[in-house]
Amino acid sequence: MSLEKAFSSLKSNLYKNYGENPGKMLVHTGTAGWILSSAAQIMAIITNDKIAPEQKTFLIPQEIGDGLINILSFYILTSSVKNLCSKAVLNGKIANKTIKGYLEKNKLTDKIGKVDFNIKKTQNYGEIKEDFTSFKNGVDVLASTAGSILSCNIVTPILRNEYAAERQKKMNDCLAKRKQTPYHRVTMNEFRNSGMRV
Amino acid sequence: MAISAIKNTANRVQQAFYNSMPNFVTGDKADKLYKTAGREISSAENRLILGATALMSQPFIDYSNSKIDEDTRRVAVCRTIAKIIAGTVTGYAVRKLSIKGIQACSHIPEKGMPKWKSFFTPKDVTKANSDEFKQYQNALGTFISLGVMLFTNFLIDAPLTKFLTNNLNKRALANKDTGGAK
Repeated sequence: MSLEKAFSSLKSNLYKNYGENPGKMLVHTGTAGWILSSAAQIMAIITNDKIAPEQKTFLIPQEIGDGLINILSFYILTSSVKNLCSKAVLNGKIANKTIKGYLEKNKLTDKIGKVDFNIKKTQNYGEIKEDFTSFKNGVDVLASTAGSILSCNIVTPILRNEYAAERQKKMNDCLAKRKQTPYHRVTMNEFRNSGMRV
Repeated sequence: MAISAIKNTANRVQQAFYNSMPNFVTGDKADKLYKTAGREISSAENRLILGATALMSQPFIDYSNSKIDEDTRRVAVCRTIAKIIAGTVTGYAVRKLSIKGIQACSHIPEKGMPKWKSFFTPKDVTKANSDEFKQYQNALGTFISLGVMLFTNFLIDAPLTKFLTNNLNKRALANKDTGGAK
């Protein structure tokens, strides 16, 4: 496939996937953002010459752990909230007056709230398609925003604080143990015998 | 077998959730609000909302963390505030500029129009002002901004966070020394 064709199909795929689903786009780009941000933090440690290699062996897994908490909490919470709300619109649990009127007119009210019911697959869906799509997009975007606020601003900081406090305690214990081990004082004779010169 | 059992359980849990949820029909004002949000909130606005709400919650979560000593807590709060401000300002600006850039390069092709003006236009688009096309521009702009942020994270975010953290910490210390008299 030529580069031009590949670029054209990439544009078409983006248009088809996200054109009618801005909520999904927010979840996917948000997750990609967290992955890149964690990768940048890890790269910053790897390329930092001022950090000793032994410290890097601790800091890199620490940063990976931190990144995993951020990414998983963001993806799981945001996509769950978004999917639940999105499905609630598809099965008619959340509706506007036009959608409610459509369900009543087509005698579909007994199916409202059923997991396998999808308004988009009903016979006369074309009548409300435009209104339904823009309403669903709005619910998706607001649900994704609410989900990301919940994960990024409440759940992740609490989890991260717990994790960091645990880590700090372990590090402090380790430092205290090192302090308790007395230094071996080198005597002048030992120094001379080592062959080093002042 | 195992996958279908998981799917059935997930469906049952979802059904129980929807059974317990009351039917929700929005009024005209809320309907308008939802539709405007769907059309107008791109990833840039989303980042701004996240930043504003982060300022209202994260510093307080850090401040109430009783598992660390007072000095660490003070620095953690300052760093959190600095990180939110730096991240939100750069994140919003980079996303907004990238989306604007994509919009400028994704017009519907017309006779005599320079090629770059339709460089990012997918061939299946016919209507320039449709919601779908706007969402596509937002999505592509956001993906490009993620690439740009690989650099701005190092060049702007990190130094700005450091600068703001030090300043906030200095102020917090001065405030502590004067007993909060200032």
